[in-house]
Amino acid sequence: MSTEPALMSLTAVANAIAQKRFSSREATQSCLERIAQWQPRLNAFMAIEADAALAAADAADALFAKGNLSGALHGVPMAHKDMYYDAGKVVTCGSKIRRDFVATTTSTALQRLKDAGTVRLGSLQMVEFAYGPTGHNSHYGPVHNPWGLDHITGGSSSGSGAAVAARLTFAALGSDTGGSIRMPAHFCGVTGLKTTVGRISRAGAMPLSQSLDTVGPLARSVEDCALLLGLMAGADPDDPTAVAGPLPDYAAAARESIKGLTIGVPTAFYVDDLDPEVAAILDETIAVLKREGANTVQVELPDQRQLTAACQLVLAVEAAAFHKRWLIERPQDYGPQVLMRLQNGLAIPGVSYLEAMRWRGPALAAHLAAVAGVDAVIAPVAPVAAPTIAESDVGNSPDAEAVIQRLTRFTRPVNYLGLPSLSIPTGFTRGGLPVGMQLVGRSFDEAMLLRIGAAFQRATDFHDRVPKPA
Amino acid sequence: MTRPSPKAIHAMADVAGVPVSAEVATRIANSIGPAFEGFAAVAGTLPFDLEPATFLVVQAAARSKKA
Repeated sequence: MSTEPALMSLTAVANAIAQKRFSSREATQSCLERIAQWQPRLNAFMAIEADAALAAADAADALFAKGNLSGALHGVPMAHKDMYYDAGKVVTCGSKIRRDFVATTTSTALQRLKDAGTVRLGSLQMVEFAYGPTGHNSHYGPVHNPWGLDHITGGSSSGSGAAVAARLTFAALGSDTGGSIRMPAHFCGVTGLKTTVGRISRAGAMPLSQSLDTVGPLARSVEDCALLLGLMAGADPDDPTAVAGPLPDYAAAARESIKGLTIGVPTAFYVDDLDPEVAAILDETIAVLKREGANTVQVELPDQRQLTAACQLVLAVEAAAFHKRWLIERPQDYGPQVLMRLQNGLAIPGVSYLEAMRWRGPALAAHLAAVAGVDAVIAPVAPVAAPTIAESDVGNSPDAEAVIQRLTRFTRPVNYLGLPSLSIPTGFTRGGLPVGMQLVGRSFDEAMLLRIGAAFQRATDFHDRVPKPA
Repeated sequence: MTRPSPKAIHAMADVAGVPVSAEVATRIANSIGPAFEGFAAVAGTLPFDLEPATFLVVQAAARSKKA
């Protein structure tokens, strides 16, 4: 284990602070030093609040000196995607329109992490209004991938992926409506958890699609994701869609063996047209899981193209509805690609939208029936490793939608079905770019995904690898 | 399900209160066409009594089965 605080995992640094092996100030200073080194290369942060972070760290240390520990993350510095409302702070949502928007409330997910004792480092870059899978942002510039600065991070949680990968923050909140946690986790070589719709409150998180939006963490390990999920999950009076009921012990689940579990490997769609290196890494990942004691079987899933299409219809309409006022009043203030995609929603009839919503129940039932014999399904997050920023800078060109669809085709079915999915780093290309795989579970069965993902990470070191500054 | 034509999109955007140019309408038609085609096999086939909340019912059943 490294003695440089910023290189430790979230779980390790929280324990180190709690055991007084070093202070919150030392952890915060360590992150700030790395941020100073990396930010000019990555553009991962929207705002860096160094002085305030150190002051908050000192306050955490002073509180601890008096014998008071706020919670499981006492004094741990973190930054999040700039769409989580934090009362009194500017929350840009990656946009020009909200460049000066000051939140008057704090999002439930963020508040729960604050209650656990976290220190705010600043805010992280994102795709404008979380509507794009590449990490480009026409207002604030693209975020660069720490494993290859000419390559995309994926989006829309672009800053979250880059900052966690470069060890600038111990973890970060992202959001996943069409793949926006899993994509940057895959492209940046970190662990990302897209939660079940209803698992974590969305109150105070910028909306994109009320039916598809989910809150979740990007972190350095499955163990860290388990810790964060346990802190954030559960009912919330401010979000009636957040489901009540007892929560599993996610940290304990992540320590369990996978011996005897059965993992499904899709026979089609997710294994079609893969880059050969991604295909080889999928095979190697399955081999590791088998060595750890899991069984694998082939599963025949319902038509995933129909799910992707339904997801596109729902997302386009709901996003356009949220943005309608600004589409009328401030269309010139959107970036070209986001404006283009928002306009798409204007052209989908209400009946088509509601058909897509009505089909969601039967589609989920059909999926659950297809995976009844397995504990999770494994699939690539994307068919390729990170493309270059230049080649994926398609703006609002005629082929933009095709590029977007190609990148998101393995993530959107999961969003439409509202399922949980864990993206874990599973290898690197010969060119040194990370490749991740997603484990897709049953509704509300994040614990199973954490169990499988953690077993994989105990057997491999892909998640521990750290990019070096160019 | 037929993909909307640029002419239809032009009219729909007008009705929505967000008019678009003919060029944008054509671009939108090309962008969303594949989604309509992908969903065509489902559209118009759903049973009468099916409503969106069925999703929550199926999800809840999965949760209680897990518990």
